[in-house]
Amino acid sequence: MTVLVVLVPVLPLLAALSPLVGVRARGLGVALAGGGLGALGCAIAVAVQVGRHGAFHAFSGFIYVDSLSAFFTLTVALVVTLASVGSIAYLRTEEEREELNLLQLRLYAIGFALFAGLMLASLETGNLGLLWVLIEASTLASAVLVGLEAKASSLEAAWKYIIISSFGVTMALVATLFLYYAASSLSLSPNQRLTWPALFAHATLLQHDSLRLAFLLAVIGYGTKVGLAPMHTWLPDAHSEAPSPASAMLSAALLNTGMYAIFRFQAIALPELGRYTNHVLLVFGFASIVIGALFMVRRGNFKRLFAYSSIEHMGIVSVALGFGGVLGVYGALLHTLNHAIGKCVLFLTSGEIVHRWRTRDATKVSGALAAAPIAGGVLLLASLAIVGSPPFGLFLSEFTIVRAGFHGSSPLAFLLLALLVLAFIAFARTTAAMATGEPVESEDATAPQSVVAAIPLLAGMAALLLLGVWIPGGLNDLIMHSIGAIR
Amino acid sequence: MSLLAAFESLSASSTSGVLLDLSAVVMLLCAFAALGSKLFDRYVAYYALQSIVLSLAAAVVAHALGQADLWALAVLTFLIKGIGIPLATRRFLLDRLDLRRDVAISTGLSTSLIIGAFLTAFAYLAIRPSTLPHALVASAVVPLSTAIILLGGLCMVVRRHTIAQLIGWLILENGVFLGAITLTATFPFIVEAGIFLDLVAAVLIMITFVSGLAHRLATAAAPELRGLRH
Repeated sequence: MTVLVVLVPVLPLLAALSPLVGVRARGLGVALAGGGLGALGCAIAVAVQVGRHGAFHAFSGFIYVDSLSAFFTLTVALVVTLASVGSIAYLRTEEEREELNLLQLRLYAIGFALFAGLMLASLETGNLGLLWVLIEASTLASAVLVGLEAKASSLEAAWKYIIISSFGVTMALVATLFLYYAASSLSLSPNQRLTWPALFAHATLLQHDSLRLAFLLAVIGYGTKVGLAPMHTWLPDAHSEAPSPASAMLSAALLNTGMYAIFRFQAIALPELGRYTNHVLLVFGFASIVIGALFMVRRGNFKRLFAYSSIEHMGIVSVALGFGGVLGVYGALLHTLNHAIGKCVLFLTSGEIVHRWRTRDATKVSGALAAAPIAGGVLLLASLAIVGSPPFGLFLSEFTIVRAGFHGSSPLAFLLLALLVLAFIAFARTTAAMATGEPVESEDATAPQSVVAAIPLLAGMAALLLLGVWIPGGLNDLIMHSIGAIR
Repeated sequence: MSLLAAFESLSASSTSGVLLDLSAVVMLLCAFAALGSKLFDRYVAYYALQSIVLSLAAAVVAHALGQADLWALAVLTFLIKGIGIPLATRRFLLDRLDLRRDVAISTGLSTSLIIGAFLTAFAYLAIRPSTLPHALVASAVVPLSTAIILLGGLCMVVRRHTIAQLIGWLILENGVFLGAITLTATFPFIVEAGIFLDLVAAVLIMITFVSGLAHRLATAAAPELRGLRH
C-alpha cells in the first residue's frame, strides 16, 4: 500500500527526468502522458484500497490517505492524465512551428511533471505543514509554466501570479502556525499537533481565538490559490497566458488542491466555531460567483472567459461547503470532480482553437463547428456542460447544491439560482458565437484534426456525460466516505 | 512536559527572553527603515540586517531550548537570508539593471510611514498578550512579528518596483519566521526545511522573472505592467 501511495506522485515526477536523456518534443509528451496514466491507475487502486480498509497512514502521519484525499487525488490524477495527453499535441505543434526552442520545451516538461507530482503529493500528506510546503512548491513549478513563452505579457502574468500567490500562501503558513498554536495546550507530541487525524480528533479542545484566526487566514491564504474573490486577481492573467494544457492543470487541478486545504481547515474548525465557518465560506463564495459572472459578460479573450468561469465555479463549491450538511458537502465534492473534467476539456479545446485561429480573441473566432467539427463540437458541448445544462454532470451537482440551499431553507439559494442563470447567459453567448456562424477562410483553421489532440477532448466529454446520467456506485461510496471523514 | 518547562525559560524576564524581545524590536525598526528608504541599496541592506538579527533570534531560542535543528535553521537563515539573497539581488538585479533610486511610492513617503505606525498599533490591539496561553515565550514577540508581517505587506502594496515588492515579501516572510520560531519552536524539522527550500526557490524564480521583464520592457516597475488589463 505504501508503495502504491508513493507511486501516485512519483510516476509523474519521473517524467521530469525525460529531458535528461535528451528526447525531443514527442518523447517529452509521451513521458508526461505515461506518468499521468500511471498516476491515474495508482490513484484508482489507492481509492479502492481506502474504500475497503479505511484510512491509511505511515511515517507518523507524513503520509495519510483517507477517502477525502483519495477522492481529490483521483480528481487531480484524472486532470493530469487528460492534460498530459493534451501536452503531446501541444509540444509537437510548438516544435513544428518553432515558437518555442528546445530549452523551453524541456522546461515545459520539467515544470509540468513537478507541478503534477507535487500537487498529487500534497493531497496525500496528513501533516498540515508539509501540505503547505508542497502546495507552495507546486505554485512555483506552475509559475514556470505560466512564464514559459517569455513574452512580456506572459512574464507579467507569471510575476503577478507568483507574487500574489506567494503572499496568499504565506498567510496560509501563518494560519498553520496559529492552528499549531491552538493545539498547544493539548497533550500531543509536536508532530501530532500538525497532523490532521490528531487535530481532527481533538477539534473541540482547540483554543478558540487562535483557531478562529487560523481558519480565517487559511480561507484567505489557500483561497488565494483557489481564486476566491477578492483574492482572485492573478487568476485570469495566469490562465490566459499559460500554455493551454498548463491552463487546464491550473484551473482543474491547482484550484482543487487549494480547495482541499480549505476542506481540511473547515473540518477542524467546524466543531468549535460552528456556523461561523459556514458564514465565512458563504461570503467568499458568493463574492466569487458575482465577480466571475459579471466579468464573463464581457466578450474578448476566451481563455479569460474560461478563467472567470473557474472563479465562479470555485465560488459555487465554497457556497456548497457553506450551506453544509451531507447534501451540501456531497454537492461540493461532486461539483469539484465535474468542474475539473469540464474545465480541463474546455482549456484543452481552447488550445486547439488558439492553434487554428492564432488568436485568443473570441470575436475573431467563428464557425468552429464547420471548420473543425471535433474541436468546435466539443467547445459547444463542453460550454453547455460547464454552464450546468443537462444531461451533463455539472447539472446534477449544481442541482444538488441548490437543493442543499433550499434544504436549509436559506433565501441564499434563490440568489445562487439567479447568479447561475446570469453566468449561463454570459458564458454561452460568447462560446455559441464562436462555434456557429461562418468559418474564417484559413488553412490552419480547417487543418485535419490530429488524433492525439482529440483523445482527451472526447474522453473528457464522455466522462462528463456519464456522470450526468449515472454516478457509479464506487464513486458514490467514495464521496459518502469522504463526507464521513470530515464530519 | 519538559518542553513547556523550556518555554518557561523564554518568558519575558529571562535573559533569553529579553534578547528575543530586543531582536524583535530591532527587526521591526529594520522593517520601518526599509519602508522609508529611497535608495535600492539601502532597502536591500535593511532587509539583510533584519535577516541577520532574525538568525540571532533563532540562535537565542535554539540555545534556550537546546534544540539542534533550530541551530541549523539559525545558520541557514544567516547564510541564505542574511548573505545569499541580498547578494544575489544586488548582483543580478541592482547592478545589472543599474538601479539606484526608487522614489516610486504610490502614497508618498511620510504617508506610508504613518500607515506603518497605524499597522503596528493595530498589531498590538489585535494580538493582546491576554489571548496567548501564559506558559509561552516572551509575549511581546507575537505582536511584533505581526507588525513586521503587516509592514512587509505594506511595502508590497506601496512600492511600485517589482524588486521592491519582492523584498517586501521577504520582510513579511521574516515576520512569519520570527513568529514561527517563538510560537512554535518545535515545528518538525522537515517542515521547516521545506519552508526554507520553497523560499529560496521562490526568490530564484522571481529574480528570473524580474530580469526577464526588465529585459523585455526596459523597466520592471509594476505600474508599467498593465498589458493584461482585459
